[in-house]
Amino acid sequence: MASPSTATPASPASPAAARPRRRLPYYAGLLAVQLRTSLTTAMQYRADFLVQGAMSLYWLGWNLVPLLVLFDHRASVAGWSFEAALVVMANFVILRGILEGAINPSLGAVVEQIRSGAFDYTLLRPADAQFLVSTARFAPWRALDVLGGLALLVYALVRLGHVPDLGQLAAGLVLLGAGLVLMYALWLIVVAAAFWVVRLDNLAFLLSSVFDAARWPAAVFRGTWRVIFTFVLPLAVITTMPAEALLGRLDLTTGLAAVAGAAVAAAIARAIWRLALRNYTSASS
Amino acid sequence: MRRALAALPTLCRIGLTEAVAYRAEMVVWLLTTTMPLVMLGLWTSVADEAPFRAWGSRDFVAYYLAALIVRNLTSNWVAWQIAEEIRTGTVSGRLLRPIHPFAGYLGTHLGAVPLRALAVAPVAIILVASSARAVLVTDPVHVAALVAALLGAWALTFALFVGLGTLAFFLDKPMGIIEVYFGVFAIFSGYLIPLPLLPGWVQALADWLPFRAMLGDPVAIAIGRVPDGAAAWALVGRQWAWAAGLMLVATVAWHRGVRRYEAFGG
Amino acid sequence: MIEVVGLRKHFRVHRRKPGLAAAVRSLWHRTYDTVKAVDDISFTIERGERVGFLGPNGAGKTTTMKVLAGLLHPSAGQVTVEGHRPAQRDPAFLERITLVMGQKQQLLWDLPPSETYALNRAVFGLDPAAAARTLGELTELLGLAGLVDKPTRQLSLGERMKCELAAALLHQPTTLFLDEPTIGLDVAMQVTIRDFIRDYNQRHDATVLLTSHYMDDVVALCPRVIVIDGGHLIHDGDLRALVKTMIPDKLVSFTAALPADEVARLGEVVKSEHGRITIRVPEARLREVVGHVLDRAGTDLAVEDPPLEDVMRKLFHTKRAP
Repeated sequence: MASPSTATPASPASPAAARPRRRLPYYAGLLAVQLRTSLTTAMQYRADFLVQGAMSLYWLGWNLVPLLVLFDHRASVAGWSFEAALVVMANFVILRGILEGAINPSLGAVVEQIRSGAFDYTLLRPADAQFLVSTARFAPWRALDVLGGLALLVYALVRLGHVPDLGQLAAGLVLLGAGLVLMYALWLIVVAAAFWVVRLDNLAFLLSSVFDAARWPAAVFRGTWRVIFTFVLPLAVITTMPAEALLGRLDLTTGLAAVAGAAVAAAIARAIWRLALRNYTSASS
Repeated sequence: MRRALAALPTLCRIGLTEAVAYRAEMVVWLLTTTMPLVMLGLWTSVADEAPFRAWGSRDFVAYYLAALIVRNLTSNWVAWQIAEEIRTGTVSGRLLRPIHPFAGYLGTHLGAVPLRALAVAPVAIILVASSARAVLVTDPVHVAALVAALLGAWALTFALFVGLGTLAFFLDKPMGIIEVYFGVFAIFSGYLIPLPLLPGWVQALADWLPFRAMLGDPVAIAIGRVPDGAAAWALVGRQWAWAAGLMLVATVAWHRGVRRYEAFGG
Repeated sequence: MIEVVGLRKHFRVHRRKPGLAAAVRSLWHRTYDTVKAVDDISFTIERGERVGFLGPNGAGKTTTMKVLAGLLHPSAGQVTVEGHRPAQRDPAFLERITLVMGQKQQLLWDLPPSETYALNRAVFGLDPAAAARTLGELTELLGLAGLVDKPTRQLSLGERMKCELAAALLHQPTTLFLDEPTIGLDVAMQVTIRDFIRDYNQRHDATVLLTSHYMDDVVALCPRVIVIDGGHLIHDGDLRALVKTMIPDKLVSFTAALPADEVARLGEVVKSEHGRITIRVPEARLREVVGHVLDRAGTDLAVEDPPLEDVMRKLFHTKRAP
């Protein structure tokens, strides 16, 4: 499917449809269309914007409750101060916003498609099925969550009196990106599961719940928990490592390992997706 | 009503069959209760450094494992189910049957309880095998109160969730309310953090809400934090009062909702 | 051009008995049956042909169509469509074909069809001007004016089907797989869609493979039919010839006041209402019967082929007989 031909920009002149081969401009255009569709739908429900704003504030406050209860009586936990833990929490809120805004919404659309059989139409389109499935739906108002998380992050850093230098900022961003890739890989595996067990309408809840552990600095978890959350479901990596990077506590090797891990996870997820697709096209009637 | 009661055993048996058939979905629902485990990880780390306000590691283990068990036994997805049926119009099929739809929902979710019990059995074994067993209640009065409390919690949860699901008759997107509800529940039931560890005003507010009766109270009874037998039974009484009240509200809401639904032609 | 050689498609299906005990047992022990949905089918369809795909429910028609569209991998056999192997889902292949499933829709439900068209335009990499022209043609031919900007859920079934067709044909495919496209539609809409398909076939020299349980669709559109039953191909050829072979009778209808035994001598009575009689007459005796009716002052004489449903019923009954 990945044809090695050079990218031809879509020329509007020739009516004999100058069809660009399946390369970046094509997929960028496709993404733009999908985004525009979701945004148009979101615009129809303008009241949702306010509702989402209220919900963002609600959950932001809610997320702070355990932190406040804990640090009311304790100065630090496993070497993490209140402000440092706040940075991790802020990362969590930001990534959660991206998860619920850009990744999870498509899940509902896909599961619905598989159940109604309309997924066949996705397979009939000459674009990569994974791409179509991943961009099926967005919830643009969740950007407010991300903004809230950023605000919290800034607040925590200010309270700490620590301004990350350029290197730390870059590392933090890269690791947040790696975390995103990791989350997406998990999401893709969950979607692949939907092929086998058709009635999984509550999958979106699963992903959100599993992500729960990423609120806390990884160091907080001991023993088996630590192993699970670092290697099996590397949730600790997703939020803690970017925090460590921003705070200047991360060493290069660990950071690189995390990025490599994210890439490996993405590859595994893609392989599982293709397996699921192969299974679907053999087994469905 | 009599017909509904007569049909109930069959409905429950079908509910159990359904639950077994859709076991993957059941597993997913069970897996979504990760919060107590995450909290357990956090608080045991905290308590290992030093007891947190007289709560040691053992206390947290007892609390959160008990909370996990109670949550999984009493929780169900009927709110989501009702909302979906109303949204897609499938609820019309139920309205055409000669027994009240609540009987059907009851059968489905009550029937799933044995399977849920099976699923939390490992957790219960872990709880009993751990050091936390020292705090678990063993005397007949408390054990009986615990059983009654579990039943009461189930009934309360069911009534509340049915009520929440019924909102779909009136609102376009009831899932938002259900989301908000969960946040409130998590705090005022003690699901997120044990109620005794929360600020005084929060605890005072929790006394006026049904949420602690859904989780916090049964857990408290189970792990011996309600030493007085009479007090334990008093909590059970409050549970059942809440359950009855919420069921009444749900029934009224349902009637209103159905009328509205039929008026606007689902 | 479509070429199918020795196609087989088998499914492994989990069989479960009803009841609680069986459900619990199935938790750890599952029995599988093999369902032979398609069992050794071969045919060739040339470019520009219109072919009807007939058979009872569960015969394997939809399965075959999905294999041809690349949605299912064959268990055995070779399939070539427009020079491609469908299972490879080559983008060049997908751009040449379209599959319309009457029971499932590709239109986005909460949004107007125009949004789905925009998506397909981007997906198929269509030049915007060309796509706009195509859409204009489709709008005119199908009568879509005023429909494409209303949310899909607000359209009636017939309106939705028309918009579905437009979405499916936006990229001007040359091979059309139509799986029950007229299901649930009223008679006028069925005629509209039939006419449209015929028109498209002629304009673009497009190959059309049609499944339908409405025999009127098949009679109106398909000179050639392929009949499948139980996964086997039991007939492939001209429709009229099939009808003549299976039921070499004609249906003669007339209005006359004739005694019952006289009518019975003319032919087998199919219907008799309000003085209007329909009898089944072997083709060999047709001249004699028609002459007789006219002699006896019968009016409103009509001679028709037997309905395709009867032909099909006989075909399947014959095949299934031990």
